[in-house]
Amino acid sequence: MGILNISKKSIAIVLSAQLILATQAVTMAQAEMVGTDAAINKYTALASRNALMDEMQRADVQAEIVALGIDPIEAEARLAALSDAEIATMLTQMENDSAGADIVGTLFTIFVILLVTDLLCFTRFFNFTRCVR
Amino acid sequence: MLALGWLAACASPFDPDERLSFEAPTRAQVAGVPLIKQEDFFCGPASIAMVMQWAGADVTQQDVAALAFSPGAGGTYLADMIGSSRRLGQLATEISDFDQLLTEVNAGHPVIVFQNLGLGVLPVWHYGVVTGYDFDKDEIYLNSGQLDQMIMEFAVFERTWRRGDYWGLVVLPPDQLPASADEKDVLSAAAALERVSQFKAAETLYETGAAEWPDSWLWQFGLGNARYAQGDLLGARRALRRARVLDPAIQEVRANLAFVEAELAG
Repeated sequence: MGILNISKKSIAIVLSAQLILATQAVTMAQAEMVGTDAAINKYTALASRNALMDEMQRADVQAEIVALGIDPIEAEARLAALSDAEIATMLTQMENDSAGADIVGTLFTIFVILLVTDLLCFTRFFNFTRCVR
Repeated sequence: MLALGWLAACASPFDPDERLSFEAPTRAQVAGVPLIKQEDFFCGPASIAMVMQWAGADVTQQDVAALAFSPGAGGTYLADMIGSSRRLGQLATEISDFDQLLTEVNAGHPVIVFQNLGLGVLPVWHYGVVTGYDFDKDEIYLNSGQLDQMIMEFAVFERTWRRGDYWGLVVLPPDQLPASADEKDVLSAAAALERVSQFKAAETLYETGAAEWPDSWLWQFGLGNARYAQGDLLGARRALRRARVLDPAIQEVRANLAFVEAELAG
């Protein structure tokens, strides 16, 4: 009985969420075109975030993080909590600190590790990071 | 402090190996940038006019000044340099270091630079157009608002440009891409053309970007929007359909496509 109640409830939630999404999509289509600017801001920020997340998944980065005594899942959660603006700021700082060189490979890995250790209060490399301990 | 900075700067001549992160050729020269003698305080508008005339546009420094010059300030603000270029339908992207400057010159693009020809305490702000350089002769060449080409030693240029925070601007017609900008910079510049209602220029730039970055749906999305803004519903639909093929999951693409199709049907 209890289980049945819960499942009914969750079905209802799923349905209403779909309804809201559908309504939004319709309103979106009817009100006006979505501007290019808005899409660029949203999706290029997404790309930066994905690049960082991808870097976190690499075996050598994971090994490094574990060697530092950091739980990789927690590290990922901290990274996910950064705002788009913070990620943009951080990437800019990476570019500046690498003195114009393209951030690729090892250097980028080091920056990502530093970012994680910053967020977990081991280091204070990036200007904007606040540690949460 | 000022004297110390001066001495330190004098002690180190420009070393390309140290200052650049790529192997720049010994010399480069952009051909065909006209010398325009600037009117009083019009170095900014004259710079843009030189670069646009080089690209083949029929634009005078007065045309640019009407969109850019601030009479009260007796000069042209950086933001107005960018804004006026865009209102004239150009692709304008900023640069901020020697790597980008010399990359552009080697790609055959003149670059507008913001310099302080005076000192921090007594600034003489100026815009010039870098057209070439020669490491062997230790010279950098600028069209700088006089009838003659200005020749500067690298160390002197370095100091005057550093006081302008290494600000530079690449202004190109929308069918060409800057060599030093990344995809996001060019996309943002294209969207900025839409904001100032330069939809034809934006359309051209989105097409140029789509050819350079064919896997990215954002170019087709922008192309669809720019065509829609010009009343080209069929062209907008073609572009948005291509965007949907490139990434079927993007809600914004589907919404705009539905919008255009509804208008075509109604």
